[in-house]
Amino acid sequence: MVWQPELDELRERERLARAMGGPEKVKRQHDGGRLTVRERIDRLLDEASFHEIGAIAGSAEYDGSGALCGFTPSNTVFGRGTIEGRPVVVVGDDFTVRGGSADATIHEKTVMAEQMANEFRLPVIRIIEGSGGGGSVKTIETKGRANLPGGVGGTDAFYYCTANLAVVPVVSLGLGSVAGLGAARLAASHYSVMTRSSAVFVAGPPVVARVGQVLGKQELGGWEIQTRCGAVDDAVDTEDEAFAAARRFLSYLPTSVQSLPPLTASDDDPVRRDDNLMSAVPRDRRKVYKTRPIVETLVDHGSFFEIGRNFGRSVITGLARLEGRPIAMLASDPYHYGGSWTADACNKLTRFVDLAQTFHLPVVYLMDCPGFMIGLEAEKAATIRHGVRAMAAVNQCNVPWCTIIMRNSFGVAGAVHQPAGRLSLRYAWPSAYWGSLPLEGGIEAAYRAEIDAAADPAAKLREIEHRLNRLRSPFRTAETFWVEEIIDPRDTRRLLCEFSRLAQPLLTPGSSSFPMRP
Amino acid sequence: MPETRIRSDLHGVIWKIEVAVGDRVAQGDTLILIESMKMEIPVSAPCAGVVSGIFVKEEQQVAEGEILAMITV
Repeated sequence: MVWQPELDELRERERLARAMGGPEKVKRQHDGGRLTVRERIDRLLDEASFHEIGAIAGSAEYDGSGALCGFTPSNTVFGRGTIEGRPVVVVGDDFTVRGGSADATIHEKTVMAEQMANEFRLPVIRIIEGSGGGGSVKTIETKGRANLPGGVGGTDAFYYCTANLAVVPVVSLGLGSVAGLGAARLAASHYSVMTRSSAVFVAGPPVVARVGQVLGKQELGGWEIQTRCGAVDDAVDTEDEAFAAARRFLSYLPTSVQSLPPLTASDDDPVRRDDNLMSAVPRDRRKVYKTRPIVETLVDHGSFFEIGRNFGRSVITGLARLEGRPIAMLASDPYHYGGSWTADACNKLTRFVDLAQTFHLPVVYLMDCPGFMIGLEAEKAATIRHGVRAMAAVNQCNVPWCTIIMRNSFGVAGAVHQPAGRLSLRYAWPSAYWGSLPLEGGIEAAYRAEIDAAADPAAKLREIEHRLNRLRSPFRTAETFWVEEIIDPRDTRRLLCEFSRLAQPLLTPGSSSFPMRP
Repeated sequence: MPETRIRSDLHGVIWKIEVAVGDRVAQGDTLILIESMKMEIPVSAPCAGVVSGIFVKEEQQVAEGEILAMITV
């Protein structure tokens, strides 16, 4: 027992670290309805799996004899643990120590967490509260100089913030007030979730007040704002739901791009036929229908995990399984602009297809897209710019792709229903309906002279419309092999399961030829 | 009595108003149809109650977020 005194001191220092910012600050955290960073980590990870690194790093005080008389731990807590038995890195902000701010952070801890995720190829989960170790004007006094962001030797955190997106799954949880670098780390993720009592902003109310906007935290960066604009993917009521969402998201993904998505057992019948699919799409083309029940019935029972429900809502994105194989599910939602692609929807789609490409997830697209969103607002939103970016994302990906055309396929956005220049599987339902542009307005543009010359232009318009409608049956398109297959909608699950079987051997571990951006 | 304001989820034109002030509605009942991208998008009652206000007219343009109607529970 030669080294017992030292071991005792180590245990004492660890005890001091576990006390975090002290009982008062911990009570304040609990009174605010929030868990401490250590409680969060314990609830997120498999039971007792957390192995902490750098627990005793912090700032210490010593008395005249050199004995330790006070200790404030760093407000970054990190280490390894497991989720469903698979290893992960977790890094969290301790809000009880100086509100998670930079003057109590040991920057190198955050960097090492990200570096460990990168080099050991482990998913990283960031638990973010406060400024995420970001700036505080206090550091001007404590360091005796102002901070040049990204100054000499200070770019590591930013490097990994970008680099890790191309290497390992990155999940971030915003739990509390999240500002500045914290907000950036939250957004620079494959999946982000915040609690509904949290607020996320580039700069908080005191700073924003100085530019003339007097707003509360929720008014400035509440969940409705941040999930609607797409800065944060999802919002949940409780911290436990946030941990569950993080665990579930990771369950579909490999631990890094160097492996393939994990397969699970499925007891759902791959040839299950749902008669509701025969009436899912209304015959009246002006009537909308709900897509989520269609998604739910096609994938393995209960396996659909939607991402970003409040953003770019004409497109539904999420992860799901077919016979236990993870896939990326993309589906149109006619309830929002008939399923047309708004600028937001295009951005959502770009990021989602990049996610599928990065982690080797085959894509299934349940399509009903009448085209890009049109009108003045759509033009001002640069819909066409975001639209061609979405097109590029689809065309650049090389994961297997399968499209079900449920109804509309119009215009350039209609063309982006599968990657151009390579073979995908494609099936049309009998309700499919397509064209370069819709007849409404399209006839006036193409038959102007004929209509103008008619004695009764309105009657002429109706006559032309009738003439063209007679030629629009999808069977005529299939007859000329411009679409390869029209199917009974009830066979869709069987064909999608077959697709996932065919796709499996085509999936190749490794880095995508282009790195993903957040 | 709590009042619930119903906002438009999208830009469009009011196609049909299916209820009148004073009507009792159940959750999920269609209140208004908005025409957007040539589709009829139903706006349904988020809760049961009595329609206590309708703030739009048929053929009127509405913007995303605009208040369309109010239900008093």
